[in-house]
Amino acid sequence: MPEVSEITGALAPTWCPGCGNFNMQKALAEVLAESGMRFEDYVMVWGIGCHGNGADFYRSQGFHGLHGRALPLATGIALTNPDLKVIVEMGDGDGYGIGGNHFIHSVRRNIDMVAIFHNNQIYGLTTGQASPTSEQFMKTPSTPGGVVEEPVNPVGVAVAQGATFVARGFAGDVEHLKSLYRQALAHEGFALVDVYQPCVTWNKVNTFKWFRDRVYKLEETEGYDPTSRTQAFDVSMSTFHELTCAPDECKIPIGVFYREEDSFTYQDGLPQLDRPMWKHAESPRDISAILEKYE
Amino acid sequence: MPLPPKGSELRVKIGGEAGFGIKAAGQTLARSFVHAGLEVFDLSEYPSLIRGGHNTYTLRISPRPISSHVETVDVLIALNRETVDLHLDELIDGGAVIFDPEATSTEGWLPSRKVRPVPVPLAKFAKEAGGPIMANTVALGATLALVHFPLEHLTEALSAQFAHKAPEIAEQNVAAATAGYAYVSKLAGDFWMKVEPEPDAPKRLLVDGNEAVGMGALAAGIGFYAAYPMTPASSILHFMAAHEREAGVVVKHTEDEIAAMNMVIGAAFTGTRAMCASAGGGFALMVEAFGMAGVSESAVVVGVLTRPGPATGLPTWTEQSDLRYVLHAAQGEFPRVVLAPGDRTDAFELTWKAFNLADQLQTPVIILGDSYLSDNRQSVPYFDLDAVEVDRGNLVAEGDIADHPEAVDEAGRYLRYRLTDYGVSLRALPGVTGAIQLANSYEHDEYGYGSAGEPADMRAAQNDKRMRKLELARTLVPRPALFGAEPAEADVAVLFFGTTKGPVLEAMRWLEPDGVKVAAMQVVTLSPFPADDVSVFLGAAKRTVIIEGNYTGQLQGLVREQCLRDVDETLHRYDGRPFSPEMVYAKLKEVADNA
Ligand SMILES: Cc1ncc(C[n+]2csc(CCOP(=O)(O)OP(=O)(O)O)c2C)c(N)n1
Ligand code: SF4
Ligand SMILES: [Mg+2]
Repeated sequence: MPEVSEITGALAPTWCPGCGNFNMQKALAEVLAESGMRFEDYVMVWGIGCHGNGADFYRSQGFHGLHGRALPLATGIALTNPDLKVIVEMGDGDGYGIGGNHFIHSVRRNIDMVAIFHNNQIYGLTTGQASPTSEQFMKTPSTPGGVVEEPVNPVGVAVAQGATFVARGFAGDVEHLKSLYRQALAHEGFALVDVYQPCVTWNKVNTFKWFRDRVYKLEETEGYDPTSRTQAFDVSMSTFHELTCAPDECKIPIGVFYREEDSFTYQDGLPQLDRPMWKHAESPRDISAILEKYE
Repeated sequence: MPLPPKGSELRVKIGGEAGFGIKAAGQTLARSFVHAGLEVFDLSEYPSLIRGGHNTYTLRISPRPISSHVETVDVLIALNRETVDLHLDELIDGGAVIFDPEATSTEGWLPSRKVRPVPVPLAKFAKEAGGPIMANTVALGATLALVHFPLEHLTEALSAQFAHKAPEIAEQNVAAATAGYAYVSKLAGDFWMKVEPEPDAPKRLLVDGNEAVGMGALAAGIGFYAAYPMTPASSILHFMAAHEREAGVVVKHTEDEIAAMNMVIGAAFTGTRAMCASAGGGFALMVEAFGMAGVSESAVVVGVLTRPGPATGLPTWTEQSDLRYVLHAAQGEFPRVVLAPGDRTDAFELTWKAFNLADQLQTPVIILGDSYLSDNRQSVPYFDLDAVEVDRGNLVAEGDIADHPEAVDEAGRYLRYRLTDYGVSLRALPGVTGAIQLANSYEHDEYGYGSAGEPADMRAAQNDKRMRKLELARTLVPRPALFGAEPAEADVAVLFFGTTKGPVLEAMRWLEPDGVKVAAMQVVTLSPFPADDVSVFLGAAKRTVIIEGNYTGQLQGLVREQCLRDVDETLHRYDGRPFSPEMVYAKLKEVADNA
């Protein structure tokens, strides 16, 4: 089984010093190392953005795909080789903006895979434009007068769309994030982990401190039941915060919002996916019985 | 015009409103003739509507080989008056019109010395048999009686068609057909046309182009097919989905074509033979990922079944105007193979070969067809399943990468994109021990790392490596197909691609009795372009002509660019309709006469 240093043993990260991506990599590498999986057992897929540059910083079987298209790329992998665990890393612009359509459909398909979002509420790689999760009225180079529209609420959307595992993490709390990753890896079905990942270069509002002052853990919240979809949806809405809110006015929950065990995964609906599908191309398929129907 | 002599073959056209089940009825008729050993070619014409609007189905039946539709009709089945108004002028002298006097008034077209009217109470017989929707089945029976063809082939086809539904529906349809047959046997037993079964003919298949593509993909061992519906490609999705469980294919109707193409690339990453298809519009959404297949050296097959554009264009009609588009789609430069089947046999063979080429070259392969191929059925010789081969190229699916020293560095690390002389690197699948690899949409180094692909020398080296595959491709792809006379001996030499093949081959048969010698070349592989073969062909000919279904002369442009020469004449069509052999005949005759 690979050690953490082997998993991160590719090229040296080029993220800005202090970027939330470092902690996200640390958390994931540690969880992968302890998971018992070999390099050959999982595939990572990345979108395009600062998060996606991580493709060079992991030693892993992987595919660094297009901006916004990591989920369908990963779906093609997951639906053709049941022996591979698929882990997808996306950005907020990447996965909720340009790839938003795939996000909704991947959730409702309940494809067995882990989907991690590096949610820095900004377009990092393209120098700081507003992202779909930038808060309303935030000023950026593409929105000098402030973002006009409401941000996307990924947790709420996922819960409403029938997701079977929805969690939110914070890159400032590695141990907590690791526990979310562990649970997501163990989940059978589509496991969404939306991670607040401060971008220290472009997002001067949602900083590490800003989050530290506001986050609280759902698992430490009395009466919170992560198997209740309505509760999860209510919390995802009630804590949908505003740009200017004071720390005691907007508390941001992190942890597992919702989980459903023994759900019907997309793979469960594919009895033909009983082996890696390349095995069908070891020799020509005999289609004589099919041709007979066309005589 | 030396059309096939009157009575030597039968052309039936059924016309009516969309929703009448005209295509289904026509296909049943087609199947009965194929069972009886005859050759058929059908043509469905319909607007992009589910109900209302005028639909036709034309079936050509012959005891001799045929390769396209024709413009003339011997028997017109008019399920409504509009059919008479729109198509009476296609009827040959002495041809018959089967119609229901209740639905189609005779005012203005009967009596006529040209037309043999066959009034049949279609609706009444249908109702008596079980329901008014069987009016077209009554008409099929009537047609067979008219041409003195035994009814049993039709009743067998109807029984087979409805076998999976309720048995009483099969019985009702047989009753409907029998009623029409009996009535017309009495009414028009003297009709001049006679079609006879060919009991000794070899077994044939009756398939449209999409079915042939689907069969080629299945035979090649496809394991994943993804698509978003778009005419005329949709029925490939239906075909694959219908066989997914029995054949073992994962078939995904995706949220859009972007997802389809990306999923197919993901599937190819695991070593699965994977394909998607759409019309030109859907391919537009695939284009960015199509380029990713190029740079990530993914072995994928993409069907582009074209229709008239731009944008939504004419959904249910045909055109060959996307040739340049598929040749150039996606930013950057990378090797691609483009294969254009001319008929259903080509479609089967080129599809299974496309999977081999994709694997051998580790690059995307396009099957370029059009509505004329996709939508229309043709009787074809049984597909040669013994000829199908699976060649996965330089692929390692299992084991340990350490056993492949040519693909690892000194430290034993796998070099997925190792720079090789012929451009193809060893492709070890995820799961092979030690074959840790990064596939990348970015330029990359030999391991696949993106930022390491930025240095100028690495960029150039990786680009060179990929482009070298084009030279390898030239040795692997199908060469142009030649028909007819030697170009030097021919009065006229014709160059074409894709489905123009059918009308050209048909017209060549008609030119034979005129003593016009024609040499024809079908450019089967459009990329890499067979410049040498085309140059030799055109160079040897006295008079040259290109026939293509577009306005701008896209194949002609390729000839100018790749062969540094031009042709004498061109024939274009871009009104949504396929070339007819009549049109091709007239053009080739004119060119030959002016030689
Ligand atoms: C089709 C396409 N459009 C635009 C881009 C340019 N682009 C690269 S990354 C990016 C946004 C990155 O933002 P996000 O997804 O939030 O990732 P981050 O950099 O913040 O991690 C954009 C617009 C692209 N690569 N592809
Ligand atoms: S720009 Fe922001 S997200 Fe990107 S590496 Fe720098 S700090 Fe991280
Ligand atoms: Mg971002």
